[in-house]
Amino acid sequence: MKRFLATAVSMTILLLSISACSNSSTVADSTSTTAKANTETSTQNDETTATTASESDSASTTESGSDASEYPLSGGTLTYWVSLNSNVAANYSSLADTPYAKEYEALTGVHIEYQHPASGQENEQFNLMMASAEYPDIIDWNWLTYSGGPQKAIDDGVILSLNDVMAENAPNLTTYLQANPDIDKMVKTDEGNYYVFPFIREQDNMCASFGPQIRADWLEDLGLETPKTVADLENVLIAFKEQKGATAPYSYEYSVNNANDPIMFGFGTSKNFQINSDGKVEFGSTTEAYKAYLETMNKWYQEGLLDADIASVDGSQLDSKITSGLTGFTVGWIGSGMGKWNQAGVQNDANFQLEALNYVTEDGSQSEYSYMENRYGGGGSAAITTACKDVELAAKYLDFGYSEAGYLANNYGTEGESYTVENGTPTYTDQILKNADGWPIAQAMGAYIRACYNGQFIQSYGYQEQYFQTQAQKDAPTIWTDTNEKAHLLPPITPTSDESAELATIMNDINTYRDEATLNFIIGNESLADFDQYVETINSMGIDRAIEIETAALERYQNR
Amino acid sequence: MKGCAMRVDSAAYKRPFFYRLKKDFKRNYTLYILLSVVIAFYIIFMYVPMYGAIIAFKNYSPAKGILGSPWAKNGGMEHFIRFFNGPYFTRLIRNTFLISFYDLIFGFPAPIILALLINEVKNRAFKKTVQTISYMPYFISLIVVVGMIKQFSATNGFFNDIIAFFGGTRSPILNNPNLYRPIYVASNIWQGVGWGSVIYLAALSGVDAQLYEAATIDGANKWKQMLHVTLPGISPTIIIMLILRIGSLMSVGYEKTILLYNDAVMKTADVISSYVYRVGILDTSWSYSTAVGLFNSIINFILVLGANWISRKVSETSLW
Repeated sequence: MKRFLATAVSMTILLLSISACSNSSTVADSTSTTAKANTETSTQNDETTATTASESDSASTTESGSDASEYPLSGGTLTYWVSLNSNVAANYSSLADTPYAKEYEALTGVHIEYQHPASGQENEQFNLMMASAEYPDIIDWNWLTYSGGPQKAIDDGVILSLNDVMAENAPNLTTYLQANPDIDKMVKTDEGNYYVFPFIREQDNMCASFGPQIRADWLEDLGLETPKTVADLENVLIAFKEQKGATAPYSYEYSVNNANDPIMFGFGTSKNFQINSDGKVEFGSTTEAYKAYLETMNKWYQEGLLDADIASVDGSQLDSKITSGLTGFTVGWIGSGMGKWNQAGVQNDANFQLEALNYVTEDGSQSEYSYMENRYGGGGSAAITTACKDVELAAKYLDFGYSEAGYLANNYGTEGESYTVENGTPTYTDQILKNADGWPIAQAMGAYIRACYNGQFIQSYGYQEQYFQTQAQKDAPTIWTDTNEKAHLLPPITPTSDESAELATIMNDINTYRDEATLNFIIGNESLADFDQYVETINSMGIDRAIEIETAALERYQNR
Repeated sequence: MKGCAMRVDSAAYKRPFFYRLKKDFKRNYTLYILLSVVIAFYIIFMYVPMYGAIIAFKNYSPAKGILGSPWAKNGGMEHFIRFFNGPYFTRLIRNTFLISFYDLIFGFPAPIILALLINEVKNRAFKKTVQTISYMPYFISLIVVVGMIKQFSATNGFFNDIIAFFGGTRSPILNNPNLYRPIYVASNIWQGVGWGSVIYLAALSGVDAQLYEAATIDGANKWKQMLHVTLPGISPTIIIMLILRIGSLMSVGYEKTILLYNDAVMKTADVISSYVYRVGILDTSWSYSTAVGLFNSIINFILVLGANWISRKVSETSLW
């Protein structure tokens, strides 16, 4: 018996070690998540006691309409889940450590316990949080992307419908939405439910901070005009390749931005759902224009005009390709793209100058499509979860962002430190613009404000104006908004719960197939002669039903 | 092993099981304590989570919980039907099978061959050096290994340098669907061969030296000795390892796949586990991805039973 037992023990240990080899990572993951879940529950418990204490405090305060003098509130603690923006993460491990958070706590009187998902795993961690059904009080997220849409999130019992809450405890946001009915339409569901404290851009020309950029100094050197047509651009790329030694004349971060390829927009389509010139919803990836785009990209890939490593180019590789003169045409952001590249590029080449250019089209006319976001894009918007014990406090805290003081705190930071008021205009100090620690502007901003990414406030145009330092940057939004995109861009529509489950099922498969086929068409693993078959496949996967759902949602949106 | 189990007091045989257990526990409680940790591990991390697998038959919504979620259509089989009729079914099965099949036929013999070779080396210092060097890749993090593969395969990478040196043209190797599986399997072998050989080396040291002497006297050369003494000596180990390996024939891990693949090679790279990861964690189709994962587990279970059965018939060595 003893020997048998000993054998059993050793065998189980052997088996265990074998299974541990294959499962070790999963096991480690699950233990760490349970550990985390435990700490989360414990913090939540602490906080429950804290909030009940504060509730009795706030009960004594007057219940009448809240004016600015109400802040700071009489204390309390909330948990707040938000992705840590890379410009903040560069210097701080948590938003809580930033001067922004400290100033904001002083202004609102509410202590926030920030929870940040690991960088690069925001989606996974958000989804796991949803699956675990253990929520913090406030979740900052793009709720339009919640599987099933925001109404589903309310129906699932994840977040609260804010209609009553806003009416009672969010006078600032309510006032703003009443004054801006077009925004008001965007930030609620078809059923009329408000679901977030939204991130809103103050003006239309703040919605296109991403677009095509070209080496203007090379154009000048080679005596070339800024290209207007696709054919022009092709010649320019050839010249870059042959005369400037650019081995990857056109390159960009394909895996992240393939849906925003300026050449595709120039051919007159987007990759996803769009409103076509007949005013109907269509799926961009099956249009003739898309085929024409793929043909060009395939040709450019064969000729070495499009980066041979396009499928795998990541941010740091792109940075080095651009700044070392291997790439002359790209697409990227104004601040974290053009600004960064121009700054780094001049160290290799004193004349280095990336500039924005108009979207090139087949005939040189104004482009129908382009990259543009809605003034409310969905991102950076905070919902109050069903787990929140003190909804009133959360609402008041979030509503502060839409007050005059909140506008300044989110867009400009701390007066006297990160900005001063000059001639009635808040102006960033050198602490931001010429940081003593050598931080880039974006990082210095990340410490003091949230305007450089998003949050619960109205993003000031003054921020953009002052952030974009060079003339090339200041010009870019105007150049990139010189398109007819507003006629084609779908507003933030919300399918019903049932529909969006169906839509998700259909589109998950279609998008996977589309992305795969697109890349294979471009790099020539598949022949464009098969494009019809590709369209056929997408049709057979149920795109018509998806278009039907989108059309219905658009109609409901227009009737809001 | 069976012999060990049989050799129990004949008196104890007549006593009821729990009596014997109690008596044995008193005598060997330390061993039971040791065992309890392992049992607890299996219950907590292997068996309890299995209850969650029922969401494969439901339309799981986190807010309603596992038990509260409604059952799926078609008697709960909706998600399975969707998978079987879906556009990716054949491709996923083919890729998963082929990758693990190549991994088996090339990857399984590799450590055995290495162990046999190392066993023949008489110079101790050389032997230890070879062993240590061949272990090393096993301890490199998967992320780093994949990072290396990606760097080497880029157009300006090491592999392309070699191709260009011999007059070939540079191309992004990881964009070629035909090369994905060889790269996957070869890097697996490179990383695991040294580590995998450890168990065989241990088995080799257990082969009776007298048998070699006898074989030498009978006039067997080194090759014959290997065929008739060494291999039969370690064949039980080989068979057990093979059964375990076949049990995981249809389970290609998602970690390496999602790190290594890109849209251009999905045709040959996408496997069941990476698909489950995408639809489950990224697209939040919890129930559907569970159904796919469960289907995969059932195949694995059948495979391991089958392999065990065949092995028992053919060689009288089996796991149970």
